[in-house]
Amino acid sequence: MKGHFLRRVVALTTVLLCMIGTAAADGDVSFKVDAPTITPLGSYLRVAFEVDARPDDDSFEAPDFAGFDILAGPTVATGRQTYWINGKQTVTESYTYTYVLMPQAKGTYTIGAARISVDGRSYTTKPLPVEVIDEGDQSESRSNRNNSSPEAHVAKDDIQLRIKLSSTSVYKGEAVRASIVLYTRTSIATINNVKLPTFEGFWSQELPAGEDSSSREELDGKVYTTYLLKEYLLYPQQSGALRIDPAELTAVAQVVTQSSRGFDPFFGGQEVHNVNRKVSTPAITLNVKPLPEGAPRSFNGAVGQFTMQGSMPPSKISVNSAASISLTISGRGNLKFIDAPSVAMPESFEIYDTKTSDSIKVSAVGTSGTIKYEYPFVARSSGEFRIAPVEFSFFDPAKEQYVTLSTEPITLTVTNDGSAAGITADSRTLTSYGEKMKQLDRDIRFIHTESGKLRREHRLFMFSPTYFLLVVIIIAAFVVIYAVMRQRIRENRNIVQRRIKHANKVAVQRLRMAERYMKQQQRHPFYEEMLKAMWGYISDKFNIPVANLTKETIREELYRRGVAAADAELFCEIISRCDEAQYAPSTSNSMEEVYADAMEIISKIESIVKR
Amino acid sequence: MKQIRMLLSTAMTLAMMLPTALRAQDNATHENAVDALWRHATEAYADKRFTEAAETFTRISDMGYGSAELYYNLGNAYFKAGQSDIGANGRPFASGELGRAVLNYRRALKIDPSMSDAQYNLDLAVDYTNDTEGIPEFVMSRVWRSLRDMLSSNAWAAISIAALAVMLALATMYLLSRNIAMRKAGFYGALLLALLFIVTTLLAASQRSVELRDDMAVVVCRDTAPVHSSPDSETKVIREPSQGVTVTVGRTLGVWSEITFADGEKGWIRTADIEIIR
Repeated sequence: MKGHFLRRVVALTTVLLCMIGTAAADGDVSFKVDAPTITPLGSYLRVAFEVDARPDDDSFEAPDFAGFDILAGPTVATGRQTYWINGKQTVTESYTYTYVLMPQAKGTYTIGAARISVDGRSYTTKPLPVEVIDEGDQSESRSNRNNSSPEAHVAKDDIQLRIKLSSTSVYKGEAVRASIVLYTRTSIATINNVKLPTFEGFWSQELPAGEDSSSREELDGKVYTTYLLKEYLLYPQQSGALRIDPAELTAVAQVVTQSSRGFDPFFGGQEVHNVNRKVSTPAITLNVKPLPEGAPRSFNGAVGQFTMQGSMPPSKISVNSAASISLTISGRGNLKFIDAPSVAMPESFEIYDTKTSDSIKVSAVGTSGTIKYEYPFVARSSGEFRIAPVEFSFFDPAKEQYVTLSTEPITLTVTNDGSAAGITADSRTLTSYGEKMKQLDRDIRFIHTESGKLRREHRLFMFSPTYFLLVVIIIAAFVVIYAVMRQRIRENRNIVQRRIKHANKVAVQRLRMAERYMKQQQRHPFYEEMLKAMWGYISDKFNIPVANLTKETIREELYRRGVAAADAELFCEIISRCDEAQYAPSTSNSMEEVYADAMEIISKIESIVKR
Repeated sequence: MKQIRMLLSTAMTLAMMLPTALRAQDNATHENAVDALWRHATEAYADKRFTEAAETFTRISDMGYGSAELYYNLGNAYFKAGQSDIGANGRPFASGELGRAVLNYRRALKIDPSMSDAQYNLDLAVDYTNDTEGIPEFVMSRVWRSLRDMLSSNAWAAISIAALAVMLALATMYLLSRNIAMRKAGFYGALLLALLFIVTTLLAASQRSVELRDDMAVVVCRDTAPVHSSPDSETKVIREPSQGVTVTVGRTLGVWSEITFADGEKGWIRTADIEIIR
């Protein structure tokens, strides 16, 4: 049972190992064609098919070279390299099948797909178009080369230097690629005295040199071998027509001539000359367009295509704990010139320096990568805070418009829970936000929208005629009122005095009247007159209106003026007797008696209450 | 006969009233125009068209109307317009708006010394100037001044008149009443009111003299104005007050005016560089 299992494991492992082996072989095999993409008519070209593994025997199938004559080939070259890496041996082999072809006519021809099989597996190359151009009659220059000096063997346009720009018109801040390329139609031994432009008005960044720096290109109808000397990314820092200074170098061309001495037994009559040729690029200008109007407020110079991602703190934090907002801006453009977008933090937050970290890659297509901004803060007071959305704007040169990205608004609840206890006393004394309102800024107060009393002139009331008139009127009014009141009081007092003086006299007159009625034996008028005399006497004497008098008040008033209680009582009793007798027909008491009593009491009161 | 006489008297009354009525109508149209201007100016201010607001408020003022609110608003409009008027030297108030703002706040306060908004804005505007601190006052005079500035002279005068009237009424009560309590109340009340009358009359008189002052001026120029030691531009420049500095004007000699700063320093300035607070 156990053995069976073991065997199965071994088998499985073997299968797996085999699979890995083939997979590795599959992945590694590359089969490609190498040929110039452009060639002049009348000169041969070399086409090489290279496979980096041992192909199966006779499995190489050459493509159809339509439009070309095969001058030679295929010649097979093999290469073998052995690596020892970490004690592991790796062997790579390469097989190259080379043809030498001659184009038949100008035009574009396609070298078809070659086929090969490695370990039974078949591979093909990609078809490769080759442009054949007619450079015209070359015989003249050829003949020239045959006679005179080596200088003449290098034609004036055989070596040229160019700065190639990826675009001729860009926006300020938009990257443009500048390549310094050497074009040559002769073999170059070396170059020296290289003077590179300073790129004034640009921020330049050199691109890492690629592996394959030479190729063939057509320039002015001729085929040149090109060498990419340097490549830069340029960021225009100002707008307008920016001139790029020419680059200069001295190329040393190697020229093989027929020996002028005619016969050389050993070298076959050929000599090699070095020809120095100083070349410079034509001056070129780049048209830099200014950024259009109407930049958003949050725009601070970013040009390119970007995306922004915000990572927000947890929506609930406790007082005195640290948190941070982080923003990641990624994309392609002048990343190095981007300033951190501003984040409006609440007043009670303690804000620390923004941390910036970036990973920026410079490649032929531009600068790309990400920049991460971190905004750390410590919430010092509790409550609910709203942090406005963070905005980042950039100019997209492809769309030719400004784009504004913004995060979601952040609502942050800062709770005042027990975690604050963990904070040292030191940091608590440092900050005392939220205790008093802070004056953030001062500004004038708003206008008064009510016009108030708009007057043609400002009239002063103080010391004006009106003022003095008012004072005089008030004082005059006082004087008049006082005089009148005083006069009336005086007159009143006189009346009272007279009445008091005449009280007795009036009483006596009334008593006499009563006496007359008594003699005529007219009871009713007698008593009536008696009452009038009695009431009237008190009213006049004490200056009290008759209506306000009662027997009680009379008694009180008399007592107050020093009349004996018995006499006061007697006075009231007489009034009562008169009241009774006035309507009672019976003659219980004689009129004479009443009359005598009244006379007596009045004269008695008169003698006591003397004024 | 009687009817004819009535008719005649009515006609005469009408004839007498007609000019008054006409004048009243004239005033009414004028006031409508002023109201429209006022609304226009406040709307312009609210729309942040401060220069337009300032021009419109100035038109109301040029029509002969004035109030503390008008000058306050005019000051505000100048201040706000000046804040965004950045000159070649990078400073705001390039066209002398700060001086005009201070001048108009002071005019508003002259009419209504108790207007706290005007005082606040004046203090804020003065912070932008290089005005010097005044000589410190005695406590009593400071108390007196702050008491006086609580009201205008007209208000103080009205209070003093009222105090006089009440005082005399109480005196009458004292003199004529026969009731002892009334007489007592009248006596002491009248005494108190007499004191009030005297104090308010003094306050009114003092405030009136302040309101009648026409020797206070504000420096109104583009940036700063040179102050020479003598009325002669060849003499030394002793100070360079900025716009909005308040000074007291003394003698005038040709195009020159003698001014005294708040700290007592004297000098001569071109009369065109200052404007009297009226």
